[in-house]
Amino acid sequence: MTDEFRTSFQLAWHVVVRNWGVYRKDFLANISPTLADPALMLTALGMGLSPFIGQIGGLSYAQYLAPGMVATTALFTAFFESSYGFYVKMTFESVFKAMLTTPIGVREVVMGEFLWGFIRAALMGGTVGVFLLLMGLLSNPWAVFLFPLISGLLAVPCGAIGLLASAMVRNINQFQTVYSFLIAPIFYLSGVFFPLGDRPVLGVIVQLSPFYHGVRLLQLSAWGQWQPGEIAWHLGLLLLFTAGLGYWAYRKVVKILTT
Amino acid sequence: MSIAPDSPSAAVPGSEPVIVARAVAKKFGDFAALQGLDLEVRRGECVGLLGPNGAGKSTFIGCLYGAVLRTGGDLTVFGHDPAQNPRKIKERLGVVPQENALDEGLTVMENMRLYARFEGVDKKAALPRINELLAHMSLDHKKEAPIKTLSGGMKRRLAFVRALLSDPELLILDEPTTGLDPAVRHLIWEKVISYRQAGKTVMVTTHYMHEAEILCDRIIILNRGAVVGAGAPRALIDKETPGFVATFAHDFDARIKAELQPSWELFHQGRQCCVRAPKIDDLLALQQTLGTTALQLRPSNLEDVYLKLTGRELDDND
Ligand SMILES: Nc1ncnc2c1ncn2[C@@H]1O[C@H](COP(=O)(O)OP(=O)(O)OP(=O)(O)O)[C@@H](O)[C@H]1O
Ligand SMILES: [Mg+2]
Repeated sequence: MTDEFRTSFQLAWHVVVRNWGVYRKDFLANISPTLADPALMLTALGMGLSPFIGQIGGLSYAQYLAPGMVATTALFTAFFESSYGFYVKMTFESVFKAMLTTPIGVREVVMGEFLWGFIRAALMGGTVGVFLLLMGLLSNPWAVFLFPLISGLLAVPCGAIGLLASAMVRNINQFQTVYSFLIAPIFYLSGVFFPLGDRPVLGVIVQLSPFYHGVRLLQLSAWGQWQPGEIAWHLGLLLLFTAGLGYWAYRKVVKILTT
Repeated sequence: MSIAPDSPSAAVPGSEPVIVARAVAKKFGDFAALQGLDLEVRRGECVGLLGPNGAGKSTFIGCLYGAVLRTGGDLTVFGHDPAQNPRKIKERLGVVPQENALDEGLTVMENMRLYARFEGVDKKAALPRINELLAHMSLDHKKEAPIKTLSGGMKRRLAFVRALLSDPELLILDEPTTGLDPAVRHLIWEKVISYRQAGKTVMVTTHYMHEAEILCDRIIILNRGAVVGAGAPRALIDKETPGFVATFAHDFDARIKAELQPSWELFHQGRQCCVRAPKIDDLLALQQTLGTTALQLRPSNLEDVYLKLTGRELDDND
């Protein structure tokens, strides 16, 4: 069993190596949007709105926004890679058709995509974190060390949503719909821009979003709020979503990669 | 029958089976792409899978390594069921898929190194092997080229190189030479033949009968997802379409029908009338009677068998 796991993991790692090989060719073009977007948001909203908003729970608005920018990077990195990115690899480039004639199976393909999503989000989230630290926006500077891990954990369920979308859309344009009706609401309403506090309806609905739990974990660490109960709750749910969505995505991808 | 170990037809009859298919079926919704397919391939054999477009050749190949999940029957490859344990099979197999499926994001060399890695080829051994195979397929000047910039034939050759990287025990070629120029086709044949001489097993699909005759010890003809004929090329011809074929212009149709003997067969190909008779003398005599020379007079070949068994030969006898 452990042998089987090791072999499977090694094969999944090859998928990461393949993705890295393609990714590094366009390295700058690939990383700039994921870093530019949060920088722009921080400038426009953080700097722009701070004077009007005043303080939120003892934080400036820029400080409030900061951890959400790490989450944003992780969400978009993971979602775009596993929706458009995966779909193109599968449909137009038939990358997996040949891969699946080698010892790599669908399970390793999906595991590899998750691993790749984790690593990329960890690197991106870590980079944004360092940037926030330099801007003096982290009340708890030690949080930079936690950002890569939380970003990576957050990326896996978000990537699973992308894979599910890839398995269900009938053409590439339908990702736009998935974005508008699922990803955008998740993004705008998960506490990145304003505290959900105890808003009765939204506060409950948002518990269904893995993104929200990641955002909260990042916020708690960035603001230096050591609340074991809340951390356990969000971490637990994040892992639960990761397992559930990950498995569901795997079942769906099996169906499209084998006939 | 004894065969010298190094003879190209080293289809050792007693060797263990590599592929065993019993009543294999595959349905896509209501459509049966494979229905009750039975066949066996033994180690060291080169088996040709022939059949019209849509006969189920690629579907069957997909079943062999778990890319297509059969909906009925029993199938084992190297003793493993591909639906249960595809990795055990895939570790020992090389495939040239009908569509090349090369990684468009990478160059030639990057593709090959990556696939060597996928196949678990030892890192040190991989590079010389890649270089040797690329050189053999005259692709060494394209090592750094992105896949997009290759011609169709070059991509085909590269897919062939990729399948050979791990020196697999079973090589599966789905129309390997489609779209290749004659010189390159010979290059591929040469490689397949030397591969067989090394005692490996090959399964190849093709629409070129000549290719099948050159490469294969045994031919299996599929039609509508089932086997309609199987055997060594020569034996198959002798069994299904023995004798000689004369081809005449369509105008002679009525007169040929009048002259037809019970042991002859009349069929049509395009706008031409073909007569098959057991002896060439019969056909020479027919020419005399008709007062014309046949457009073509030749021994029966595999194409005749193929056309007959797949019902593509518009038969006038029934
Ligand atoms: N994924 C699929 N969904 C539905 N039908 C399919 C699918 N794949 C193949 N088929 C059908 O199954 C039949 C067999 O197809 P297959 O590709 O195996 O034929 P083939 O013998 O390889 O033909 P060719 O010589 O054209 O390559 C065809 O009628 C095809 O339309
Ligand atoms: Mg085919």
